[in-house]
Formats: sequence, structure tokens, C-alpha cells
Amino acid sequence: MSQPPAGSSGSATGPSLRERLLAARLYLVSDDATPAAELPSVLEAAIAGGVDIFQLRRKGVEPGDLLELAGRCGQVCRQRGILFIVDDWVELARECGADGVHLGQSDMPIADARGLLGEGALIGRSTHNRGHVDEAMSQRADYISAGPVHETPTKPGRPAVGFEHVAVAARRTHVPVVAIGGLGPHEARLALESGADMVAVVRAICSAPDPGAAAARFRQSMLEAVSWPWIFVNGVPRKCRPGEHLGELAAALELAEVGVVVEVNGSILARESWDLVDLHAGDRLEVVHFVGGGCGG
Amino acid sequence: MAEDDALKLGGVRLGSRLIHGTGKFPSADVLGRAISASGAQMITLAVRRLHLDGDRRSELEGIDLTSYTLLPNTAGATSAEEAVRLARLARAAKLSDFIKVEVVGEQETLLPDPIETLEATVRLVAEGFTVLPYASDDVSLALRLAAAGAAAVMPGAAPIGSTMGVLNPHNLRLIIAKCPVPVIVDAGLAVPSDAARVMEWGAAGVLVNTGIARAGDPVAMARAFSAAVAAGRSAHLAGLAHVEGAAPSSPTEGMPSALVRL
Repeated sequence: MSQPPAGSSGSATGPSLRERLLAARLYLVSDDATPAAELPSVLEAAIAGGVDIFQLRRKGVEPGDLLELAGRCGQVCRQRGILFIVDDWVELARECGADGVHLGQSDMPIADARGLLGEGALIGRSTHNRGHVDEAMSQRADYISAGPVHETPTKPGRPAVGFEHVAVAARRTHVPVVAIGGLGPHEARLALESGADMVAVVRAICSAPDPGAAAARFRQSMLEAVSWPWIFVNGVPRKCRPGEHLGELAAALELAEVGVVVEVNGSILARESWDLVDLHAGDRLEVVHFVGGGCGG
Repeated sequence: MAEDDALKLGGVRLGSRLIHGTGKFPSADVLGRAISASGAQMITLAVRRLHLDGDRRSELEGIDLTSYTLLPNTAGATSAEEAVRLARLARAAKLSDFIKVEVVGEQETLLPDPIETLEATVRLVAEGFTVLPYASDDVSLALRLAAAGAAAVMPGAAPIGSTMGVLNPHNLRLIIAKCPVPVIVDAGLAVPSDAARVMEWGAAGVLVNTGIARAGDPVAMARAFSAAVAAGRSAHLAGLAHVEGAAPSSPTEGMPSALVRL
């Protein structure tokens, strides 16, 4: 294949894949119902409506057919300047020059995929509970999905985790969180207000009579959301709820133990005042405590 | 040791003149037992970011910090500004008003920056801290730090983290002799005899970390340092004998007359 390696950016001067990932909001995942021949045109329409990241997921397709379909979808994504992710199949992602791969809980370990695709590739991981989130972070996932928010026919038998898990994921990561699972335009807004950075949609766009109009409805609803601001805690990006005060963040981060000191934007804040301090986007927090040391730390 | 021989610093009475470091111990358990064995009442600490994800436990886990006088340090600071910030963070934990000022001027030797150390001392004294600056073994600097309000000065015996012992005995003795505030010898003391030696000269105390933490049996070594510090202090209080040149220790009078072969 003469495709560029997975994860290579199209332009030496343009934004990196991770910068584009941070800016993405509407994540389209292909369904199995749309005929392969129609998928590229559905994708074209959805991109016109506001989709800015696409994942190819097809079950029960011959490898050769899937490679051909991936080539066509990847070409559409590249031409329209959106990110192209392949579900599960790392070798396919590499073969077709995708920007990255999405791994479910039963798929390949992130480190193995990283080894095959290189440092530049985007690697996403599905999470269904807090443990999955922590594990994905320790394995350096580039983004995580959180769901299913509602039970869906796409993943039969998997219990819904609600927006609560989206909020937990948003709290515990410093990478984008994609809410997924039976979300319509109104719920997409709720997902962002629960801490998600992106919303993944399958049937609500792929099966819509007008995929472009459906995507646009999602974008419009998401524009109205008050999304969670990013702050920096000990140098690491982290999100908090809009209008949250320091006391709530401290509770979420379990900072109750004696001897923990918090500094916000260079000012040490006494514990008694934490509930009076509102957090704002871009705030820089240092959370310190005593560790062993003699001379020279 | 007599009760009235306690080391008084910042309104605190320390019965033990051994200050115990808490870095580089093989485990939290060994650290806890070493501190207990040493009898130390003051321990040093560093201020660092809390690991928010994953294991939050530090090597201080299991040590009741409220049962010691805490001497947080500003380790890691390379300027007065950074030292002041770390000191404020340390005090905000509300466990101690003491601060051991450490401002390293150069990363390879970890030797202190005297100018920034003095500046940090001036500022922190003004903010009401009980300031114990770690300093190079320079007499004038020790006097300037004392004049700036340091509760004690802490000249290094040798570079931080080393076990090189007392590199400049002459300077240390001069500082001990001249300095109007207690002199606590810090850094580089390798073996109990190093500690005993500086205590004999009149040092008010010693801070030991690596010499204990990296010993084969840190708990036993903590006990040995404790005994050495007490012995050195007793010797100092007793008054050291000082005689240059040879002089007989036995009476020159009353020798029986030499045997005469008949």
C-alpha cells in the first residue's frame, strides 16, 4: 500500500492529530445496516452536517471487503479534513492509513496497538466503569468512550451506565471523553453538560432519512451546552463542573486527609475557604503534601 | 541527659539533639522503626505534589506526624522565591511553623546558594517562620543568617546526600565558636563518630538522613547515631582536655630508684 503510516498528519504545518481530537465534538460510528456501497455518501452528508470524527465499525464482513471499504471511507475523511478511526482491527488501521484505532475492553491492549501503529496514532478505549477509566489512563489512551449511557441495540445485553459514568470518566481523565449509547440531540447536550467532550452517534445519523440534517441537529443542540471547563491540577489537565467551587473538586479528588495543601493560581487557600472559591477555565491548582526528605528532597 | 540540657528552638524543647531525616529509607516500616530507635523528636520532611491518580501513600504513611516537631524543608528550590513558596505551602498544612531553608545553587554539587539562602531567610523570618537555613560552611554567612533572625544555622559537613563526613573541621569549629545562635550540622555526616565529633566541638545538634537511611541496618544505625550524639554532647559539656605536645600522664615524682647491680 502507498498509504501514509497510521497517525501521520496530512500537513507538516497543520494541527496535530491530538489537537484535532481535542477540537472534535461529533463522533460518527458506522452501523451494520447501511449498505457498504452507500456508506461513503452517508459519511459525506454527515460531515457536511457537522461530524468531525468517524469510526468505521462493521461486524461480519470479509477482511478484503472491509479493507476496500476502509480505503474509501478514509479517503472521504482525508478529503474533508476529519479524523478517521478504525474499530478494533489494528492491522486494518495500519493498512488503510487511519488516524487511529478504537479498542473495546476485550480488544488488544493499548500498548500492543501503540507498538504496531506508532506514537503518533490516536488510540481510544471503551470504558464502562471507573476501573476501566483508570486502566485506560495508565495505559495512555488518547481518548476514552464512556457508555452505554442508555441500552442500545448496537450493544445488546450491555447494561446502561447513565450520565453518571460520563461524569466519573470526565473527572478521572485528562483526555477527551466520548459519550456513547442511544443519544439523541437533546441527550447530546446533556452529555456535554455531564462532562463529555464528544458525543458518539450511530443509528441516529446513519439510519436517518437525511444524515446531514440529523448531524446538524446534534451540532445545534451541543452548541447550547454549557460544557465543563478544563483546569490544571498538578500540571495535568482535568475537568470540573461549570460553576464548581474548590470544595466540590476537593471532595471529588478525595483531598480530605490532613496535611493536604491547595494552591490556586499561586495563592494558598485555607481549607475553610474552599467552598467559597469558584473555579474557572484555565485555573492552575497545585495539590501538595509532605513526603519523606532530609536534605535535597 | 539532664532535662535542662534540652535544645530550645522556636519555643520548642528538644530532648534529643539528633534531627532525623525521612528520605531514601528502604520502606515506610524501616523509617518508622529507625525514627523510634533514634529517639529523635524532630524530623525533616519535603513538600511535593500529591499523586492524585493511583497509589497516594508516601513513605510517611504510618508515622504520626503530630507526635514530632516537624522541620519541613524547601528542597528543590533554586531561588529565594521558590523557597518562600514551598515554605508557605508547608506551613499551610498547619503542622509546623518551622522551615529548613534549602536553596541549591548548582545542581551537580547541590551546594547551597548563599545569596538566595540569606534572602529567603530574611523574608521567611519576616513572615513569622522559625527559620533554620541550610548553609555552606562559611563563618561570615553563618553570622549574617543569625543576624537575619535564623533560629539556628545548619552548615553542611559535606555535600547533600553524600557520606563524606566532615570535610572542613576548621570552618565548622569556627562557625560553632562564633555563631550566636545554635549550630546544627547538616548533610554528609556518614558515621556516628562524625556526629560525636561535631557535638564534642559544641554543635547544638546534627541532622542525619543518608547515613542512617542507607546503612545496612538503618534501625540499628539510628540507635548508634543517637548514642554518639548523646556521647558527644556529654563530652562537650564535660569540657574537652586540650594539650599540645607530649606530656607524661603519670607522675614524674616518686620513681623507685634504679636497680643497682651489686
